[in-house]
Amino acid sequence: MQLTDTGESRVNGYLFVLERSLKTFLPADVVHDAVREIESHLRERIAAADGAPNEREVLERILAELGPPLRVAQAYSAERTIDEAVTTGRFVPMVRAIWHLAVSTVVGFVAALGLLFGYFIGIASVAVAVIKPFFPENAGIQFVHGVPVGFAAQFPVSPDTDLRGGYAVIPLALAFGLGVLVITQRLARKYLAWWRGHHVS
Amino acid sequence: MSHETWQEQLRRGSLDLAILLTVSSGPRYGLAIIQHLEAFTDLVVAEGTIYPILGRLTREGLLDAQWVEGEAPHPRKYYRLTKLGAKRLDHMTREWRAFAEKINRLIDAAQGHDHAAH
Repeated sequence: MQLTDTGESRVNGYLFVLERSLKTFLPADVVHDAVREIESHLRERIAAADGAPNEREVLERILAELGPPLRVAQAYSAERTIDEAVTTGRFVPMVRAIWHLAVSTVVGFVAALGLLFGYFIGIASVAVAVIKPFFPENAGIQFVHGVPVGFAAQFPVSPDTDLRGGYAVIPLALAFGLGVLVITQRLARKYLAWWRGHHVS
Repeated sequence: MSHETWQEQLRRGSLDLAILLTVSSGPRYGLAIIQHLEAFTDLVVAEGTIYPILGRLTREGLLDAQWVEGEAPHPRKYYRLTKLGAKRLDHMTREWRAFAEKINRLIDAAQGHDHAAH
């Protein structure tokens, strides 16, 4: 089947959306190769079609069989970004995978918020341990109505803030912060593995 | 786990093996692989999702990919099994057969037990 200008526009539109989606998480050369391969697939399917009942219906059927561009992009994401993150467990690929899911799915966004909270608490606690020897009066365990609520640092310390604890805060904050970071990282890896298991292909 | 989830996991788990088997007889391009899979199985739900798997298998060194121009009005990307891929396929095939045999035995035993109970 020979495509009209309208048909060409539809194909180019599909490829454009696919390319834009892939660009958010894949290197340029990989995107180029992927789009070229999908275009090859489309051209092959179109060339083999007889054009009945009409170009629009044939084209929509071919595109439906291929899958929506966002779904195809998600499959690439799962196979590449998430696969790398789950397999290696390295921080940068994991952040990249979490970010990609956060901007492409609602579940991913909610999960990313939770994980971000965990990473933030962990890093903040470690920061308190690092700050404590240099600013002993500004860092410690914060108490609210006599109840400890967490590690904190303030510059300057407000009169309402109840910061306690001597240098024992350093190992405590360090252990707590690193513990939270390890747990968050493990949860992130489990989440990505779950996502890969449920969304690949 | 729902029946659909179980079926989906079974499908995903066997896709790698199915793709490696498809290219074991010789190099094939993406659409030819999909058509072969569709002819023998119902593993392909959305055609576009097979390409990322081909990409991963290539990155893992199980497949080798090469663009061929001039054969058709548009270039085609051919995939062929590498030595590592052939080795992995051999392992996977043996494991699949052994696994299927055990499950079949289990099914037969359960059905035999059911028949005996009735």
